[in-house]
Amino acid sequence: MTEESGWEALPIGLEMGPLEIVLDDNMVQERAELVQWKTQEQLEKLGFTPPGITIRYHAQMKFAALPDLRASIWAKSEHEFLKPMKVGSKVYIRGKVIEKYVKRDRHYVVADYETVGEDGEVLMKSHETSVYVE
Amino acid sequence: MEKITRSLKVGDEIPILTKTAYMPIDPDARNVIHTDEYARDFGMRGALIGGSTLLSYVLEMLYNYFGQNWFYHGKINVSFIGGGAINGDIVTAHGVIKAIEKEADGNRLTLDVYLEKQMQEKIVVGEASCLKA
Repeated sequence: MTEESGWEALPIGLEMGPLEIVLDDNMVQERAELVQWKTQEQLEKLGFTPPGITIRYHAQMKFAALPDLRASIWAKSEHEFLKPMKVGSKVYIRGKVIEKYVKRDRHYVVADYETVGEDGEVLMKSHETSVYVE
Repeated sequence: MEKITRSLKVGDEIPILTKTAYMPIDPDARNVIHTDEYARDFGMRGALIGGSTLLSYVLEMLYNYFGQNWFYHGKINVSFIGGGAINGDIVTAHGVIKAIEKEADGNRLTLDVYLEKQMQEKIVVGEASCLKA
């Protein structure tokens, strides 16, 4: 009998997170420097983080939930920005696998993510399709 | 921030943003596509820069153009194509207006957006929209 692969075993509806992220000064500054964000000073006056600062954590959540996953490569990425994320606040990300499919011998996973603030207000919605390599 | 003008029209390009792509390389990265060894085995030139980093370059261009409106009304939908980017690639984000629609709070602009590296090879392509007061 052939052993089931991690992708085959992956259940649709698998929930990822919630992951709590503290958007403190150091974290925001470090990310802004890494992506060479040139208008950080302007954002600091507003108390806002650069948009999309938490998107990189979506992959981290996927790796935490899927132990067989070795590489995840974005194929598509969709994001809706609803409210700014504020420096010094906490946000929470919840994710869910909503679909998986095979195309041209590649295995894909589709997941939705929602980032909410401390008061439960939705700040950003994301819909991502990634190539799953194990 | 860019100010909207009466002459704004479909086909206009918003100010581009160019950067030298960079991401620290961790040989023990959990996502092995970000390691030189695995990425080369996978047929890439080296450790791939993360998609979220490439996306951030496009988002910065959009923020520069739309200002704070981006935080409340921004939408982006992109595909990652070609060979991606590795450290040292020169990448430029572009946005070209493809539609202007009147909404209660202003004009919603829809743009074709893309990120290309040297030799005009596109690595991120898609669409973005936002209200422009």
